[in-house]
Amino acid sequence: MSTTVRPAAPEAVASGSQPRIRRRPWLRRASLRRLGLVLAAWVVVAAFLAPLAWMVLGSFKTTVDFLAYPPVWLFPPTLGNYANVFADNNFPGYMLNSTIVAAGATLLALFLGIPAAYSVARWRRTALGMLLLAARMAPGIAFLIPLFVMFLSLHLVGSYVSLIASHLIFTLPLTVWMMVGFIEAVPLEIEQAARIDGCTVVGVLFRIVAPLTAQGIAATAILAFISSWNNFLFALVLSNEHTKTLPVAVLGYIGYNSIQWGTLMAAATLITLPVLVLALCVQRYIVRGLIAGAVAG
Amino acid sequence: MAETILTLAAPSRARTTRRRHDWTPDLLIAPALLAMIFVMGFPLLYLGYMSVHRWSLIGFSPPRFIGLANFAALAGDERFLSSLTRTLYFTALGLASNLPAGLGIALLLDQKFPTRNLLRALLILPMVATPAAMGLVWVVMLDPSLGIVRFLFGLIGIQHPPLWLSNPALVVPTLVFVDAWMWTPMVALICMAGLASLPADPFEAARVDGASAWQRFRFITFPLLTPTLVVAAMLRIMDLLKVIDIVYVMTGGGPGHLSETTNLYNYLVAMSYDKIGYGSTVALVLFALVLLCTGVLVRLRRMAAE
Repeated sequence: MSTTVRPAAPEAVASGSQPRIRRRPWLRRASLRRLGLVLAAWVVVAAFLAPLAWMVLGSFKTTVDFLAYPPVWLFPPTLGNYANVFADNNFPGYMLNSTIVAAGATLLALFLGIPAAYSVARWRRTALGMLLLAARMAPGIAFLIPLFVMFLSLHLVGSYVSLIASHLIFTLPLTVWMMVGFIEAVPLEIEQAARIDGCTVVGVLFRIVAPLTAQGIAATAILAFISSWNNFLFALVLSNEHTKTLPVAVLGYIGYNSIQWGTLMAAATLITLPVLVLALCVQRYIVRGLIAGAVAG
Repeated sequence: MAETILTLAAPSRARTTRRRHDWTPDLLIAPALLAMIFVMGFPLLYLGYMSVHRWSLIGFSPPRFIGLANFAALAGDERFLSSLTRTLYFTALGLASNLPAGLGIALLLDQKFPTRNLLRALLILPMVATPAAMGLVWVVMLDPSLGIVRFLFGLIGIQHPPLWLSNPALVVPTLVFVDAWMWTPMVALICMAGLASLPADPFEAARVDGASAWQRFRFITFPLLTPTLVVAAMLRIMDLLKVIDIVYVMTGGGPGHLSETTNLYNYLVAMSYDKIGYGSTVALVLFALVLLCTGVLVRLRRMAAE
């Protein structure tokens, strides 16, 4: 199935040898079966996106439209849910918390992780390897119980410090893992030339390696930010009423007696949308990041 | 200076041991290493220490050393044992659904057609969407009275679908389904990367010999892709054994404890029931389980490679 197009080489050679406009092979062989496959691909991806679409759609529904059965697809949209989100529940505060924690955990991870990655990439220092692996395999709770007790005795439970420090458990391995790959792609000759010209190692790192891997650093930063922003369990254990992040705060919209459907959807949209946009910017690197362990469940 | 450059170019052990030790790489890695030791290494050691104590945060009794009593208690803890079998069931269902579905999607998107790259890009969205928020969205969608899922079942003639999240037999499969919605795309993307790196020669040879599409998949694609599938399986196992976010958000372990995974039970024991020592024990066992399962898979992979 997957292989029908793979040996495209002979055709490419053929069309290359003939002085005519190269037509796209899929058009030339546009059989019904082929069209069916393309359609199937679209349907599958649409099915995966449907819950996200339903969430965004629901966030613009009034309560009446939301409770309608069968569900309504066309309705006069309302911004009331978004107004509700910002009116109650200190949502902007939680958004600020999430931003502070995610930005803090990301910047700290870059600051610590890039030199470490440079060391790993150029001198094969593997001491971090074991810890990196442990971070991927250990359940988050295995770190959280001792960290909770430790932060408790330091009077740091509920502080940004405890949240940022604990998020390093996944942002730092992610940063090292991603950056080693990017740094290894930088040609060694440039670094050597700089060293001969009298540049220090730190100088090489900041003036040569960092600018040359700027794109990689940006991708890494975004992935670290997303993994911190999405994290639920760590904030559940280590945050308090004032430092609660969005994934924990959103639980507040499902109460025991009433669920504010539209408001819940609006809040979910506001939490998720920034992540989706950021992720699309770095979609090429997403899987690599996830392999490193963006999830600390 | 010259030596440093040479070392930079070719880090040979002989050279570095003969000359003065070059501390630069150690200094570069030290801050990260210290941070990891503080937030990971030390906590893990402390976890081991706590697991042999009776430890409570509320009240005035100091931690008391009780040896391996916590580990012994696990064997008689019905709730723990059932959470363990449930977690394994969850993992098995997850693997059985994610891998075939992911491979299927990968084969579909491996075709060359316009908008293919767009589809691939869009496919990442379920796995990056905030799990806690998406869990709640799924709760709304699965709602027995106004959920869209009920409506969709109505379209195919099933007017009264089961109560997904309160039916004891269906709650775990339903949670697996939501987990699969998030993570099957990752399996698919890993498989796509694997497919793209397969050599073209065997496929051409098979075509020349007149192999059918199914035969080409069964005897060429699948065997060549097995290492990739093992990697995907390994990543999924690690996360499936630790599943907690969507369970906490969607059912809280209910109805009763019928959807309580070991990780969730672990959280409740330590954080809600204030049994810090016992919770540490459960965490160690869960960690060991993840290590064991990944280890077995690594071993299998080596055996398959030989």
